[in-house]
Amino acid sequence: MNRGNRIALACVYWAFVLYVFVPLILMILMGFKDSKFIGFPIRSWTLDWYTGVFSDAEVLYTFGYSVVIAVLSTLISVIVGTWIAVLLEGRRFWGRAVTFGLMVLPALVPGIISAIAFRIYARWLGIEPGMGAIVWAHAVHNVPFVSLVVMARLSTLPKSQIEAARDLGADPLIAFLRITLPYLVPAILGASVFCLLLSFDDFVRSFFLGGYEPTLPVLIFAMLRSGMSPEINAIATVALVLTAAIGIWAERFTRRTNKESQI
Amino acid sequence: MTYDASVRKDSDGLSRATGDRPFWGRLAGWGPYRAFAALVTASPRRQFVILATFPILWLLTQHLGPMLQMLRVSLVDAYPVAQDAPQAFTFDNYLRFFGDRIFWMPFFRTLTFAAVFTFCTLIITYPVAYFLARHVSRRNQMLMLLLLLIPFWVGEIVRTYAIMILLGNTGAVNLVLKWFGFIDRPIPFMYTSFSMGIGIVYLTALYMLLPLYSALEKLPKSYNEAAADLGAGAWTRFRRVTLPLTLEGISSGCTLVFLISTGFYATPVLLGGPSTTVFAETIAGFFHVAGDEWPTGAAFAVIMFVAALLITGVFQRLMKALRKGDTA
Repeated sequence: MNRGNRIALACVYWAFVLYVFVPLILMILMGFKDSKFIGFPIRSWTLDWYTGVFSDAEVLYTFGYSVVIAVLSTLISVIVGTWIAVLLEGRRFWGRAVTFGLMVLPALVPGIISAIAFRIYARWLGIEPGMGAIVWAHAVHNVPFVSLVVMARLSTLPKSQIEAARDLGADPLIAFLRITLPYLVPAILGASVFCLLLSFDDFVRSFFLGGYEPTLPVLIFAMLRSGMSPEINAIATVALVLTAAIGIWAERFTRRTNKESQI
Repeated sequence: MTYDASVRKDSDGLSRATGDRPFWGRLAGWGPYRAFAALVTASPRRQFVILATFPILWLLTQHLGPMLQMLRVSLVDAYPVAQDAPQAFTFDNYLRFFGDRIFWMPFFRTLTFAAVFTFCTLIITYPVAYFLARHVSRRNQMLMLLLLLIPFWVGEIVRTYAIMILLGNTGAVNLVLKWFGFIDRPIPFMYTSFSMGIGIVYLTALYMLLPLYSALEKLPKSYNEAAADLGAGAWTRFRRVTLPLTLEGISSGCTLVFLISTGFYATPVLLGGPSTTVFAETIAGFFHVAGDEWPTGAAFAVIMFVAALLITGVFQRLMKALRKGDTA
């Protein structure tokens, strides 16, 4: 009975693996198809779509534009998110629960509502649609993810280390910079990668706050609306390989550093 | 300076070990820094105020601000307005929603779809999470979980496109069905609620899987063994032990997936058709057209958000009552 259960569950797991991988694998294969027509079967293969993408100035520019937005918004999110985490994990204060609720708010607001709320607010602040507005919206949206990760790490910091530093004459600022901050580095790096990917992959905020220059997801969306072409597959595959590789690297990195600091 | 030079002459390891000391030592002794530190850390109270001011301001202006501004815009008759044009308070934007079937059809469709897709995600991911937490060794658990994480690093648009290729008329599923001779003509999967469901479940599965996995993983195996010793069969053990003790994970996973599902815009546009227009598309429509439709769009967004929060709130209450009922 138990054995049967186990085999059935294993089948469900592998079926699920197929479900999440097969669409992506098919999409990657389609990018090598030697025909303008999207669809199966694939009879002959080509690399033309890739050479086309890498020599397309607009695509390359959009790619760089998305990366710059991701990096800038991540820098803001990481600083603000860490600061909020340090406040929330510090001594208890009146209104802490409300502060925590406010902190997670942007992560819980459904995508479309968050996008138009940012759009309206940007208008009110006088921020024109474009790069600044996207960076700002991504930064605000990603703060909760940084705060939550850093808070989790901070809660495991041995308080005795801070006390020892203070006993040895460090003021609170230096104790923070030399004990707390280095301890938080793995969490901050992990959160940064997560923010980079969230920003790079984000569609709805970039779409509503963007000016005339599209980010990569917005460009793919626009191309899809005007019809499917293997060129989209090539662009999407490059984006896919990049994001997945960064994701896997970050996962391994945080796991390794977590293990090291446990010893 | 002389101290620095002597450190550099040392062997590499030693200079690395002591290399940062001069900096911190000099910083702590540097006049302006000492004045700054004394000012900042004069009393625990002042220290706290300085630590708290920026985050509180950020949370109020950046996290709460956009929502409040959206609420304000939803209650005026025109926005954006010219510099000195008058702006009047009104409820018309909300009343407009109830006046027209064309608005509340997509609204109820969105909530129904979100509920159904959330339930499907739960049914699909629970056995997967159960298998990982219960039947796999610790070491493999991490690897097998990581395997599932990979596709979820990929963006929303790319994954939606992948589903289009899978389900299209010349897509892989139709091709396979034709090969086996099940069908002569391709089945039109695309632009239906089915294709939309496949896409949305694909996008949200991870947000369900992780809470379920962590709830199942925390559950001690001994509980199940005890139940088995008392004569409970596999189904009874699951229904009376495992399920009640993972209700919290189910509750948080469902809440998360429901909220995310209601907010999708690109996926319904790309995978859905005219018969599956969701409320996100209705809301977005007010922001595409030039004109003073923003207040209506804002009001509709507020309606949507409040409805989603109410539903998840009631749902969480129900789950809590269920949890209490089971332990009593």
